[in-house]
Amino acid sequence: MLRDERLSGEQLRETAAELREQWPTGADAGFEDAIEFHESLPETKCFADVLESADAPLLQPRAGVPRLDDQIELLQYLEQEGGADLLPTTIDSYTRDNEYEKAQQGLDNARDSGEDTLNGFPAVNHGVEACRDMIRAVDAPVEVRHGTPDARLLAILTLAGGFQSFEGGPISYNIPYTKEHDLAETIEHWQFVDRLCGAYTERGVRINREPFGPLTGTLVPPSIAIAVMVVEGLLAATQGVRSLTLGYGQVGNVVQDVAALRALRELGEDYLPNDVVVTTVFHEWMGGFPPDEARANGVIGLGGATAALGKPDKVITKSPQEFQGVPTREANASGLRTTRQLIDMMIEQDIVIDGIDEEQEIIERTARSLIETVFSHGDGDVAQGTVAAFESGALDVPFAPSDSANAAVLPARDDDGRVRILEWGDLAVPDEIVEVHEARLDERARTEGRSRSFRMVADDVDAISDGKLIGRPGTGDPDPGAGAADGLAGGETDAD
Amino acid sequence: MGQTVILGVIGSDAHVVGITIIEQALTAAGFDVENLGVQTSKAEFVSAAEDHDAGAVLVSSLYGHARQDCQGLHEQLADAECDPVTFIGGNLAVGQNDWSETERYFRELGFDRVFDAETDPSAIVSALERDLDMTATETERVRVNS
Repeated sequence: MLRDERLSGEQLRETAAELREQWPTGADAGFEDAIEFHESLPETKCFADVLESADAPLLQPRAGVPRLDDQIELLQYLEQEGGADLLPTTIDSYTRDNEYEKAQQGLDNARDSGEDTLNGFPAVNHGVEACRDMIRAVDAPVEVRHGTPDARLLAILTLAGGFQSFEGGPISYNIPYTKEHDLAETIEHWQFVDRLCGAYTERGVRINREPFGPLTGTLVPPSIAIAVMVVEGLLAATQGVRSLTLGYGQVGNVVQDVAALRALRELGEDYLPNDVVVTTVFHEWMGGFPPDEARANGVIGLGGATAALGKPDKVITKSPQEFQGVPTREANASGLRTTRQLIDMMIEQDIVIDGIDEEQEIIERTARSLIETVFSHGDGDVAQGTVAAFESGALDVPFAPSDSANAAVLPARDDDGRVRILEWGDLAVPDEIVEVHEARLDERARTEGRSRSFRMVADDVDAISDGKLIGRPGTGDPDPGAGAADGLAGGETDAD
Repeated sequence: MGQTVILGVIGSDAHVVGITIIEQALTAAGFDVENLGVQTSKAEFVSAAEDHDAGAVLVSSLYGHARQDCQGLHEQLADAECDPVTFIGGNLAVGQNDWSETERYFRELGFDRVFDAETDPSAIVSALERDLDMTATETERVRVNS
């Protein structure tokens, strides 16, 4: 029976032994040997210490290519030419789906053709020694970034391989990343991952854990993201994780983004145990990007400026080639430098913006209500409460592909571009908060002379790539075309 | 129109927003849509096409692995004696690529139309209206002839 309780050492060892037999590279991932490798690393590669001791936001890109030599070169380039403070290794999507055979085929194709046929680094196929070669070859600490519901084998191998930070969590890597994985089972799988990180932590190797804040990456209301971060943080803390970085993805409204970053830190520190060091990470815009590098740089610049105001501990940068997917190393480094320029020019300015406190208050009240509903759904047990709250829809994520979420919640921007909730489903939110959202959305509807509908959602999803923040009617696509626009209009929301 | 349109994201990809919006647009335009959701295998596309006697199969992919994921899809459709119109759309290769080359590749795999990630849903609706009408006419013609 699923409970928010710490796994025993015996359970951890037994499960690890079984998992290591799932793929040949598992054999090399011994725990004692791994501790020895971590102890041999210089302080500059200790992820948690570097992140927690920084006095300005640290910058980290995403980056993963299939072949080891290419990955090492890419990371070295991002350090040297991009000025990355922290490095990533992004894992390919077959590995995320535990399809190691397909990942092997993709890796073989990459080796034969010389092309990057996978969208990331298949770390399970590469194995422990290859990971260590990478860790040795770079100067900064490295994190595993992925999107894997069942990341147990990946964690065993990459932590043994010298990575000191591991992204993800049972909600944030299930709800946005899978259709069929069961949420309760995913929580059990992440209890293992967190317990493994806890076991390293107890041996003096403090593995940093980073729940994935952006969730579905598309107009996610800040309160929902923050509630999920706190819940995942609590689950991780139970298993012995002591360095937690809670995440949030930029929505593009500066007031709301700064308020959300403050609320995230506030609630993280409030709810998590005192022996957990809580840091925050801000993801530059995760939705659709403009198909034009100059305009994309504008989006990235706004991210840097927002980071200078909101002061997260870390910023995950985007590249101006985001529109087409995996960027060249040059474009990736340029996203880092653009962000750095904005942060360095702005961070010492004392800029006062009206309205942040009020927005923060709305976000915190909503997020607290969602966190408390998890507690009450589980009679105090966070693991059970999470499953029950998603089942009832009291906790929900817009655009969630997972069968474990209702995905009845739909967001839309208000007249000021802040993300509000258009369709609530059964989300556990106080009535007075609902009224605030409704009033703000009505204001937009009046401005635009149309009723609130799914059409607004669709327009907002495209707005930033179309060159704006709010999807106003008739101003978006330079070539609006007939048909779909009319087809979408008037339809009441029925996204799922 | 009466012909079912099968919609889904192929392979291990979980990008759901695009098909959610396309489903809305197609439904609003009067199509019968069977949305298979994200992480749909070739076999699931084929059996859905078979079960619904589908007029069209719309494949979405945003994560770059479409080449590997789509190998053999059209052969499997043919083996199941399905002959729907097939579209694919999204970011169809890893990294920064030459679109005309990518488009040609997927046309050669057998896709009737290939769309990039910037495509407006209206373009898909109107292409589908054209192609399905044409298919219906051809089918009728075959029936008349035989």
